[in-house]
Amino acid sequence: MIKLYFGRFTKNKLAFGGALLLAALTLCALAAPLVAPYEPAQQDLTHRLMPPSAAHLLGTDDLGRDVFSRLVYGIRISLTVGFVAVGIATIIGTLLGIVSGYFGGIVDVIIMRAVDIMLCFPTFFLILLVIAFLEPGIYNVMIVIGLTSWPGLTRLVRAETLSLRHREFVQAAELLGLSRRRIFLVHILPNVISPVIVSATLGIADAILTESGLSFLGLGVQPPGSSWGQMLTAGKDYIYVAWWLSVFPGIAILFTALSFNLLGEGLRDTLHSRQ
Amino acid sequence: MACLAAATAGAGDMYVSAALGDASYLNPVLASDSASGTVNDLVFNGLVKYDKDIRLTGDLAESWDVSDGGLVITFHLRKNVRWHDGKPFTAEDVRFTYERLIDPKVKTPYGSDYELVKSFAVVNPYTVRITYRQKFAPALESWGMGILPKHVFSQGDFNEHPANRKPVGTGPYRFKEWKTDEKIVLDANPDYFLGKPKIERCVFRIIPDQAVQFLELRNESIDDMSLTPDQWKAYPEFFRSYNKFRYPAFMYTYLAFNLKNPLFADKRMRKAIAFAIDKKDIIGGVLLGMGKAATGPFPAQSWAYNPDVKDYEYDTTRAKALIEECGWQLNAKDGYFYKDGKRLEFTILTNQGNKMRSLSAEIIQSQLRRAGIKVNIRIVEWSSFIHQFVNKKNFDAIILGWTVGRDPDQYSIWHSGQQDEGQYNFISYNNPAVDRLLEEGRGTFDQAKRTSIYHRLHRIIFDDVPYVFLYYPESLPVIHKRFRGPEIAPLGVGWNFHDWWVPPAEQKYRLAE
Repeated sequence: MIKLYFGRFTKNKLAFGGALLLAALTLCALAAPLVAPYEPAQQDLTHRLMPPSAAHLLGTDDLGRDVFSRLVYGIRISLTVGFVAVGIATIIGTLLGIVSGYFGGIVDVIIMRAVDIMLCFPTFFLILLVIAFLEPGIYNVMIVIGLTSWPGLTRLVRAETLSLRHREFVQAAELLGLSRRRIFLVHILPNVISPVIVSATLGIADAILTESGLSFLGLGVQPPGSSWGQMLTAGKDYIYVAWWLSVFPGIAILFTALSFNLLGEGLRDTLHSRQ
Repeated sequence: MACLAAATAGAGDMYVSAALGDASYLNPVLASDSASGTVNDLVFNGLVKYDKDIRLTGDLAESWDVSDGGLVITFHLRKNVRWHDGKPFTAEDVRFTYERLIDPKVKTPYGSDYELVKSFAVVNPYTVRITYRQKFAPALESWGMGILPKHVFSQGDFNEHPANRKPVGTGPYRFKEWKTDEKIVLDANPDYFLGKPKIERCVFRIIPDQAVQFLELRNESIDDMSLTPDQWKAYPEFFRSYNKFRYPAFMYTYLAFNLKNPLFADKRMRKAIAFAIDKKDIIGGVLLGMGKAATGPFPAQSWAYNPDVKDYEYDTTRAKALIEECGWQLNAKDGYFYKDGKRLEFTILTNQGNKMRSLSAEIIQSQLRRAGIKVNIRIVEWSSFIHQFVNKKNFDAIILGWTVGRDPDQYSIWHSGQQDEGQYNFISYNNPAVDRLLEEGRGTFDQAKRTSIYHRLHRIIFDDVPYVFLYYPESLPVIHKRFRGPEIAPLGVGWNFHDWWVPPAEQKYRLAE
């Protein structure tokens, strides 16, 4: 079965490329101290704004820090934000979706109206508002992105659960008197998991973009931490003097988000054709 | 359709300037931001103004006499000055402006400059006499405040008056229009008492980002800009059409400690931080050499600056020794100081949008790391920075700058009586010796005596380290080459704007009615 999926997946070249790039990024993030030639916060004021060269692969920034090293450490932040935020959203979204779809009635009405309310807010501004009240920082950013991006998933899971509920195997399980927990975990969850995975993969790309946006506005990672969005902000002041400061973080964000999107689309094609 | 251009040689054209923020009030009594100030300076006149060498000279006042040992000032006003709406300017307008300045209902930040006035008398329509309760050295300077037209404000709430968005003044330029967050347009005043300015129109475009302003400069769609040192040193072909200027600003940038925080209560700790900061790195790396290390609250070109104060030499060993004296112990493992299990740690707060300050913060962060102090940095948007953190004294340390007046009186910054919310002594500095010198300084007229008072003040504040004075920055404006007349004077580069002109062949804009 898994072999079959894998075979189908590798035929999708774009998705496979995305997966490879992500694997490489993850490796870089784990081995950041080995990959990065310099400490990301190490300043060298005599070598500021140096263009890309052999000593500094992608140049140096306005405090003489190595752009390549900062990008490599930035992967850690981007990936952590992506996974943690989406992890939170996925847990909340799946749980609420199953509960809502399975029980129906008043529970369903309450949860679905909550979803509608959440979807009405422009998420980015909601996040801005919350961060403005809390201290800006990477942990708050992850949590807030997670807590605001579950409603779409809840709808998706609810719809799946609604149709599963009336399938024979679920009704049989109910008749057999199995506990609700067992029905949820063993009979429903495995059958909703594929859309959840697809949506989570796409959600990671969104979370990374949101984090970049927040850091760009100065509400994300605080100095001397290096996040791609923050590097982009710092770079825009020098766009005519030192193009490398904004171009490379921009490319990094673009390709990471793109790979997650390709991977997500690929997974959808692969898992969807199961029926 | 008549062309206004080139009626007299060199008249015509338009000056397009850029501001980072929109103006707040086009009313000099209410405004405290620089965007409003720039516009108000062209629309309004004070009784006195500074000439290019920073000496007070007459503006709406033709002359003045000081009598009774400095307690009485009599201003003789210019006759035949007209408001932009044609009404004559008289002493009643001056009285009206004074009454607004001391009215507690008026939201003006300048009221304290007029607290010592005992009486204000209109002797005749062109003479006013002001009597002070006690000697007040900055008195004359304080009458540089823009004078408002009484007849325009006769009805309605002063704070919310429509004229605050459609000002009527006596100045060289008349208000034409204000599009919120877009632009403010002024036209030359043909009846100006010093003659109609040659440049026909001034436009202030609101462009809230330095990087975008720089792009506009490249396209030559703005005629001036204040550059950052990096921009100033950018490739020369960028500035083919611009003249670059460079001169010391009346300003200092500092790291201030919240003295209510027990960490900074001990002077030795503040001194240790002063020793642990290498200003050479900041001036070389951030200002690119375009600035000077600061030692106190007076810029180096001020007569109050004490040249004998020698700065703290960068010395990490000495800094560490001082911190140990305060009872902290260095942990060999992580290289930070600890006391009772708590790490020596604080947060430096600064505002968004000022690259110099945030970069200085990052350099200080890495320098203090070497001295065993952990520093966090938080960069906050300007209005919440001021309202939620500075005014509420809700910070450990901040990096900020003061633009100071030509008179060295800094009573509002250092006097212990100025600690209420919204007042300028937000670090809670309290030193009786400093209080006494500040009071003496503003109550003395004798220049030699004042100089020695402020030199002593400089020394005491330097020794006390309520701030670590970081640097005196330089102003780095560029102005389009077609404008003739800009020249650097001690007052800055725009002091003679009224006389600038563009040769007809080079005029860029033609104004059609």
